[in-house]
Amino acid sequence: MRFLAHVFWVAVAAAGAVCLGGIALSRGEHINSIWLVLAAACTYLTGYRFYAKFIAARVMALNDQRATPAERMRNGHDFEPTNKWIVFGHHFAAIAGPGPLVGPVLAAQFGYLPGTLWIIIGAVLGGAVQDFVILFASVRRDGKSLGQMAREEIGKVGGLIALLTVLIIMVILLAVVALVVVNALRGSPWGTFTIAATMPIALFMGLYLRYLRPGKVLECSAIGFVLVMGSIFAGRSVAESSGLAPAFTWGAMTLAIAIIAYGFLASALPVWLLLAPRDYLSTFVKLGVVLMLAVGILFVRPQLQLPAFTRFVDGTGPIFAGKVFPFCFITIACGAISGFHSLISSGTTPKMIAKESHAWPVGYGSMLLESFVAIMAMIAACVLEPGVYFAVNSPAGIVGATPTAAAAKISSWGFPLDVATMAGLAKQVGEQTLFNRTGGAPSLALGMAHIFARSGGGQALVGFWYHFAIMFEALFILTIIDAGTRVGRFMLQDLLGHVWAPLGRTSWMPGVIGASAFVVGAWGYFLVQGVRDPLGGINSLWPLFGISNQLLAAIALCVATTVLLKMHGSKYMWITCAPLVWLVTVTFSAAWQKIFSPIPAIGFLAQAGQFEQQLAAGTANAATMRVLIFNARLDAVVCGVLLVLVAAILVDSLRVWTGILRGTREARVSEAPFVLSQLQTEEL
Amino acid sequence: MRRVAKILMALLRELADENAYRRHLAVHGRVHSGEEWRRFSEERLRARYARAKCC
Repeated sequence: MRFLAHVFWVAVAAAGAVCLGGIALSRGEHINSIWLVLAAACTYLTGYRFYAKFIAARVMALNDQRATPAERMRNGHDFEPTNKWIVFGHHFAAIAGPGPLVGPVLAAQFGYLPGTLWIIIGAVLGGAVQDFVILFASVRRDGKSLGQMAREEIGKVGGLIALLTVLIIMVILLAVVALVVVNALRGSPWGTFTIAATMPIALFMGLYLRYLRPGKVLECSAIGFVLVMGSIFAGRSVAESSGLAPAFTWGAMTLAIAIIAYGFLASALPVWLLLAPRDYLSTFVKLGVVLMLAVGILFVRPQLQLPAFTRFVDGTGPIFAGKVFPFCFITIACGAISGFHSLISSGTTPKMIAKESHAWPVGYGSMLLESFVAIMAMIAACVLEPGVYFAVNSPAGIVGATPTAAAAKISSWGFPLDVATMAGLAKQVGEQTLFNRTGGAPSLALGMAHIFARSGGGQALVGFWYHFAIMFEALFILTIIDAGTRVGRFMLQDLLGHVWAPLGRTSWMPGVIGASAFVVGAWGYFLVQGVRDPLGGINSLWPLFGISNQLLAAIALCVATTVLLKMHGSKYMWITCAPLVWLVTVTFSAAWQKIFSPIPAIGFLAQAGQFEQQLAAGTANAATMRVLIFNARLDAVVCGVLLVLVAAILVDSLRVWTGILRGTREARVSEAPFVLSQLQTEEL
Repeated sequence: MRRVAKILMALLRELADENAYRRHLAVHGRVHSGEEWRRFSEERLRARYARAKCC
């Protein structure tokens, strides 16, 4: 039996190596997406079985005899021992957001290979390790948060930096995901109608759940889902109606203002009315669509149309500027390693873990599944013809504002494209145009629509599936926007409460309105900046988001390294130090280039300089130019602040590590005392 | 197969807070009512939306 197990794992590892070799060495011919699926699956299995098991057994020494906080502090609310597969699903639903979908789609401009390798290797050696170690550390510390652990393990500076970083990430994240929605809905009456319809549907669900059938969340979500599907069907009629279509055909700025107003209202409304019902619905839709996409890819097994590498690895990409190193590695954050996950791993999840060994599938395994979602997004983007992919994702400022100019420009890059193809595709999905639909969501929806249509329903349903995919993306992005605005408001009120007590009261209306307005104003400013950006806001905002998210991952890895160092000395610190060194290298390189690169498309200061020259030459509107100059400098400052933050926590961590290794600092492990577990897993 | 379906339903109920509501009723020895659900829901949602949602 043991021999057969060895043979099985050797076969899995060999299959993974063959598939990785196949996708890495294939040139000049289209490869089937199943190679990517197999390469990822085999690598994940090998990493899970060997690397994660090594960490679980040797490094963490997970002990099921030790009672977890869920058992010791059981209260029926937060702390509750739960079946490991339920915690797995719960944790996965919490970490899966738009990041692993959008990032790979944007990074596909380099070709499928760099992003795919980073997603697979980054997750196995970095992202999953981070989530696993932080979850373990939190479980051993009564379910404490990352900020609390940073304060205890590193020092007060670490805790403060973690808080500041979360605030900055929130602002940038909300702006960039709102921009994704704006670009997906711009000039699309079908999409705008469908998303607008989700608001009254969510309000109905909120009232249904509170007054008609209290507690029947699944039933209410099923009704909501049927209504949303109905709104997608109705959207086609709206788009084809000469009377209704203009009412739902909005420009980018109108959409941006509408989303800002919505964010303000939603953060001030009671959560049960709009936010919570839509959050329930979006969670179920999200899990369902991920499953559908996996089945669709396995069923259709589409050929990848994008090459392994494109010419844009040299940094001249139209979607975002910058070379494959470091920009591929900050563009794809959530699919490979995401700092945000450490907040979930030290949030609800550790309070539900029944046995320490469950942290292995939950912490490490969930991240592998998230990584697999990113692989699917990469496949969905790469099944598009390269010309179509670049036509959809390139801003007008790069390829030209007219279809003819854009088609000529993209064809000149070696990706043949004609206007008629794009017009036919737009008609097929019920859109007026698919040119310059930047942000990643429309091209992902196109790829998903083709996979779904080939799985069943045929080409007649491409339009429906396209808008289904747009609805799916927009639904949980809007949930992130109002939840994020609310959280930002709480954080701000918490800080302001130290200045004047009433400002800290979340029930005091002037404080609520003022703090909401401030938070909405902060992300709204970056959103409007993105809409106005001549190179498309994704070029400036997505790298900022990637850098800040990876910075949070660096903080989490600093905490994780400190924990391992205190447990074992320097013996196992390489487990978290290796991804940390890589992340710091990537983050510093990217941030430095975004500030100081002399190429205006990359460097914010060079961009400001270019705008200044245009202002001086009088070739552009002076007021617009002044705003653009200010925005470019503001982005440089934000990037600089992020650099300083990461440098500060690194120095602080190094100080602690050096002290421990030299023996001048106490290496006290601040774990909760051992309590023998009385819990039988069969009870769960 | 039955076990998988059971776990799947339990997961859906967990995500929908229905399991948490049952635990709440059991812990406090109360019976289901509209008022009780509203009390539970407000407390649970307040805690949930005080934390950032993942990207």
